[in-house]
Amino acid sequence: MAMTRIPQNEITIFQYVFFIVGAQIGIGILSLPADVAKGSGTDGWIAIIFGGVLSIIASLIIVSIMEQHPQDTIFDLLLRYFGKWFGKLLSLLFSLYAALAATTVVFTSIHLVQVWVLPQTSNYWIMILFMIPGFLAARQGVRILGRYAEIVFYMTLWMPLLIAVPLKDGHLLHLLPVIKEGWLPIIKTVKQTILSFLGFELAFLLYPYVKEKHLAKKGIIIANGISMAAFVFVTLVGFIFYSPDEITEYVWPTLSLLKTIEFPFMERFEIIFLAAYLFVLSTTGIPYIFTAVFGIAHVLEQYDHVRVLVVGVGLYIIVSFLYTPPFADLQAFSDWWGKTGTIVGYIFPVVLWLYMKLYQWLRGGKPS
Amino acid sequence: MWIPSSLAEVEATIQATWGETPDLVVCRLNVRQLKKDVVLLYLDSLADKNSINNNVLQPLLFETHDATNVEEVAVLIGQKKYTNLWSEVETAVFQGESVLFIDGEQQALLLDTQGWPQRAIAEPQVESSIKGAHQGFIETSGKNIALIRRYLPNRELKVKELVVGRRGKTKVALLYLEDVTHPEVLKELEDRIRMIDVDAVVNTGELMQLIEDNPFSPFPQFLLTERPDAAVSNLLQGRIVVVVDRSPSVMIAPMSFIAFFQTIDDYSTRWMIATFLRLLRTLAFFIAIFLPSLYIAAISFHYELLPLNLILTVGESREQVPLPPILEAILMELAIEMLREAGLRLPAPIGQTVGIVGGVVIGQAAVQAGLVSNIMVVVVAITAIGSFIIPNPDMSESVRLIRFPMMIVSSLFGVIGMAIGLMILVIHLACLESLGTPFGSPFAPVRFRDWKDTVVRFPLWTMRSRPLSAHPIQLKRQTKTRK
Repeated sequence: MAMTRIPQNEITIFQYVFFIVGAQIGIGILSLPADVAKGSGTDGWIAIIFGGVLSIIASLIIVSIMEQHPQDTIFDLLLRYFGKWFGKLLSLLFSLYAALAATTVVFTSIHLVQVWVLPQTSNYWIMILFMIPGFLAARQGVRILGRYAEIVFYMTLWMPLLIAVPLKDGHLLHLLPVIKEGWLPIIKTVKQTILSFLGFELAFLLYPYVKEKHLAKKGIIIANGISMAAFVFVTLVGFIFYSPDEITEYVWPTLSLLKTIEFPFMERFEIIFLAAYLFVLSTTGIPYIFTAVFGIAHVLEQYDHVRVLVVGVGLYIIVSFLYTPPFADLQAFSDWWGKTGTIVGYIFPVVLWLYMKLYQWLRGGKPS
Repeated sequence: MWIPSSLAEVEATIQATWGETPDLVVCRLNVRQLKKDVVLLYLDSLADKNSINNNVLQPLLFETHDATNVEEVAVLIGQKKYTNLWSEVETAVFQGESVLFIDGEQQALLLDTQGWPQRAIAEPQVESSIKGAHQGFIETSGKNIALIRRYLPNRELKVKELVVGRRGKTKVALLYLEDVTHPEVLKELEDRIRMIDVDAVVNTGELMQLIEDNPFSPFPQFLLTERPDAAVSNLLQGRIVVVVDRSPSVMIAPMSFIAFFQTIDDYSTRWMIATFLRLLRTLAFFIAIFLPSLYIAAISFHYELLPLNLILTVGESREQVPLPPILEAILMELAIEMLREAGLRLPAPIGQTVGIVGGVVIGQAAVQAGLVSNIMVVVVAITAIGSFIIPNPDMSESVRLIRFPMMIVSSLFGVIGMAIGLMILVIHLACLESLGTPFGSPFAPVRFRDWKDTVVRFPLWTMRSRPLSAHPIQLKRQTKTRK
């Protein structure tokens, strides 16, 4: 039952890095400055660094798990170690987790668009619009997604420059004193940053496709590093520009930062920014849609995942006709994603790693 | 079927094969060399009469030395072939060759006396160039290959000849540099051409559509050119040139997206100017696709994007216009497309009238009548110019087509629709392949080293290796000659 679809479907190490960066930088970063400010004030950026270190450790565990069977995706691996039925159950759970992540990203994006740009447009229209590129990209393999993530990364490099513009009216004093209330609130805030760093767990799916496997560990450290730098940067800009109390009042402080930018030929620049930011959101949503669909196709033993994708896209559109998530529901989605993400991204790799060691030890020390 | 040995039977077979063919010449004569009767057969319309008279008939009639068999017959033609198959005789006659049957011989002699009407070599009309060569391809593949060979007197330049079409029997020649072109890419192209089973291929454009990777893409995946220098420049990048007999444009495969925005003049212009022009074309590409949609989006959704002064101007100009922006834009865009199409096929003197009608009616009357706004006219004009700047006509047409769905999506969703439209384009370009090589290279996948020759053009001496997009097997192009 080797259903590996790897031939002709390799990605370069850069595509792998940007794939993960793309999956990590998405909706989390929009609210991150407010989230961490609520927990530990202007020391929140330290919590992000801790969060980054945690995610690097978890990623390294994931890569060392995948290294044992370089041709397997997580779905092959689960079948190999847990037998057909339990393995399939776990694969299904992993896919459902990815589906939850995708749903959160998609509905949050729709909500963002409705709040900031198109208040009069129904959410099902926007859903149909979003599902077109979603379908076109997710029906392809990892290779195309890798290429897409890579080009989008370069296409969006101008964004941090613009976010830095408000710095000219900021006050560095807001950051001082550093560690004003001790380490405890900072450690507690680390939990808030987990949602933002989620995305590295896609290495579970990605690893077998990477061409330069010996660089996979370095690559994932760099990917987490880039995301961490972006998060810290945005958070610092937010803290410097807004006063420590003001920032907690914003739902999306990152977008609010842009409201202050004006050009002689253009006002309300954040509309353009948000439209461009859809590219960044797409590199979060599409990989998760792909992972969910790919995993379910794997469980159903379908060679081609397009049929499952058609059903999935259809479901999204039908659901969007019946259900418009209010903001509270979206927050619930995010919380759930954060909670399940903690399990899938941090706890599950450790457990799996221990289990595999045990399994191999029982089998006489050799990988099966 | 074998060729019959007696001349009477040959004549009967000729009669049976070519019934209604007034331009067929069957000439029976007695040859002194052989002391036998022979039949000379050719198609008057496709053969060169001078050559037949001077190089074939004259020696046959007046040469006196003794010949015992076919091989010793003296004629003044270099390219002689022998055959004993009737089907080959048929093919040869239709290619303009003359066939010599000798009484009592199983073999016939095929003589190259081709000479059909052809045009002189002239400057290509569609792709004119300022600094490049002023020779363009013509309708005879032999001449076209000669034009290419003039640039590359190199034994690595190989020509592989295939025949396409059951009825048309078009000669299709694949030209490539054997030590540069990737053999699998070549094999892929060859296989695809061999798979074609059609009546006839009239033009290179038809051949291109029969073998392209994704027929449902708006973008051309192979390049058509009438310029030998452009063809050679692509050959040197490891691409394959497909010369189709009877068609003045050659096809170049595999191709990358960005190559459609480059011209051969870019390389003969100094690099700063070439870079500027290329950036201008890139800008024009985006303007040609997005400017009308941006106008629609700004007017119908995001007027708060525009600063107050601008919005007053726009509002004043749109005051009398009864149409919603999307209709206004589509009306104007369709008008200009129709003008273009009308001007394209009209003879030049009438074509000018179209220009005047278009200029006066669309430029002024439509605005004065209050049908469209002044700003819209400006937008349409800039868009049209933007699409004219794109040097490749196929790509320019694709861009003009993409503009319409973009306008519709932006009238429904504003800038969000435009962003999604661009996203679809990017995804499509990342998926698209040309002969199995990535069409989006060097942007998707990103290959920084090849960015030297894309929307910018680095100085020639820095481009030391061939671009990777066609997967060349020999990367090195030149050595470092200056610092």
